[in-house]
Amino acid sequence: MTDPFVLSLILIVALALSGLSIGLAMICGSSIYLILKGFDPSIASETLLQGLFNSYTLLAIPLFILAADIMNVGSLADRLLRFCQALVGRFRGGLGHVNVVSSLIFSGMSGSAVADAVGMGRIIIGMMTKDGKYTASYSAAITAATATIGPIIPPSIPMVLYALVSDQSIGYLFAAGMAPGLLMGLVLAVMNTIIARRRNFPVDNSVPLSEMPRVTWQAFPALMLPVILLGGIYGGVVTPTEAAAVAAFYALVISVVVYQSVTAGQFYSTLLNSARSTATVGILIAGALTFNYVITRENVPNSIADFMAQFELSKWGFLLAINLLFLALGCILEAGAILLIIAPIFIPTAQALGIDLVHFGVVVVVNSMLGLITPPYGLLLFIVANITKQPLARIVRDLVPFIIALFAALAFITFVPDFVLFLPRMLGYKG
Amino acid sequence: MTSLTRLFDFLYSRAENILALVLASLFVSFLIQIVFRYVLNLPLGWTVEYVSIAWLWGILFGYAFVVREDDVIRLDIVYGSVPVAIQRIMDVFAGLVCAGIFLWTLPNVWDYVTFMAIERTAYMQIRFDYVFMIYIPFALSVIIRSLISVWHGLSGNHPKYAVGAASEMHDYD
Repeated sequence: MTDPFVLSLILIVALALSGLSIGLAMICGSSIYLILKGFDPSIASETLLQGLFNSYTLLAIPLFILAADIMNVGSLADRLLRFCQALVGRFRGGLGHVNVVSSLIFSGMSGSAVADAVGMGRIIIGMMTKDGKYTASYSAAITAATATIGPIIPPSIPMVLYALVSDQSIGYLFAAGMAPGLLMGLVLAVMNTIIARRRNFPVDNSVPLSEMPRVTWQAFPALMLPVILLGGIYGGVVTPTEAAAVAAFYALVISVVVYQSVTAGQFYSTLLNSARSTATVGILIAGALTFNYVITRENVPNSIADFMAQFELSKWGFLLAINLLFLALGCILEAGAILLIIAPIFIPTAQALGIDLVHFGVVVVVNSMLGLITPPYGLLLFIVANITKQPLARIVRDLVPFIIALFAALAFITFVPDFVLFLPRMLGYKG
Repeated sequence: MTSLTRLFDFLYSRAENILALVLASLFVSFLIQIVFRYVLNLPLGWTVEYVSIAWLWGILFGYAFVVREDDVIRLDIVYGSVPVAIQRIMDVFAGLVCAGIFLWTLPNVWDYVTFMAIERTAYMQIRFDYVFMIYIPFALSVIIRSLISVWHGLSGNHPKYAVGAASEMHDYD
């Protein structure tokens, strides 16, 4: 590593800490590196322009954002929640279970944890706190915890980002997230059951079984979305990127035609909102593209691999160290930044140790999602605190048992690769 | 002053219209592509190229003219916890460095973009300098906004210094 590189790194950190957009900070740092090295500084913009223009798979991102935004505007979420309530609302702590199951279903439609918390989360927090059945902080905590499942079960925007930096197939990465996502749902439901007993939560008014067919029928078009999406991808009908367009189109059709719940004005503001989110995350990707050029030029990943080799870590020791590092980084960094900047640095080491890169991707993505609910910097925490108007400290106290449960799931996902990889292998993955 | 503000509001709304249109056209092109490839069995080339251009333009145009300062992805863990006086110093520092670097590299970037006139895209035969031209307004917008941030830091009259940094949220994580 040369001096210009160290200087550019220091500059990026200083600019980012000063509150500059992380994407711009990386573009600035990369430019300084090129200037100090005596190269043409336009290489930074060239890398950015060519990188964005040639990253066809990344186009899944605006489409998944659009699909989730449309679903959140339409009454899709309400109908899904009523279905989940009819399904699991009759048990003690029922609305907690509804929260878990609805997140599992919704995550089969959206690729974003934040979309889950903002859309479904807002409604279910309202249901849980109405009549004072559950404390606002508990409702907030379980909503944040279940939202982390969103990008683990396909589709998933973070997996698309990882696919970009690791050159792995999006289809296999999506399939690899399936079992871990279900496991996370299971441990959260178990924890909810234990807490509901201990804190003696009420049994909610259950939907009579005779209502079940009607509620299911009303939710049916929405429930078909994950089936169409995954069927399309794994049936080999469409590419994951095209599947994202189909999902957005389907969500639009059922919201407008079947549920008649989206007006033209709402559709315009949804489009605009999605486009704004796309531009915001796009600049982060653009910054990562330019900085990855610098990292590659400086041969950083291989230097890290050589450095790590000194410790003679076993595969498992390395995975443990990665988990600890990423969890620590997740407390202060954005998930997208972790996946785009930090993950690629360790990919050659993982490869050298014989770690499967699809498995590694799932471990890294789960880690970055846990980062969203670990204080002090956790996006999901801020969102649920904003919805419930509860102090962060109180939400975090109620969140601790769920974080512990998710850590246990993460450990299992990390150390039992076959659990993650059996599904992609069934679909033809040779790893 | 009010008519100037009104003009800015008007232009901002038009920029929003354009950005929404870019995403809508990207979405529609994908649907056309899917219908032609899988239903009519006629693969199209131009849609792949069009969506790539729309993606590039959507990001750079959107960031330059539509995304607001509080939408931006930033690390506010330190910034949010220091006194206002230090925040102002940080704004001046980050703004000056950012504006300086973008300004310094602008001539080279201009050369690169105009140089790309020699290449055309594969299907639609659009000259690459047109495709990449959006980088110039993007860079100019970054420079101007950074300088505005410097001015806010120096003068200290911006509402954010009064209420403190609020947490933001995004829907792509």
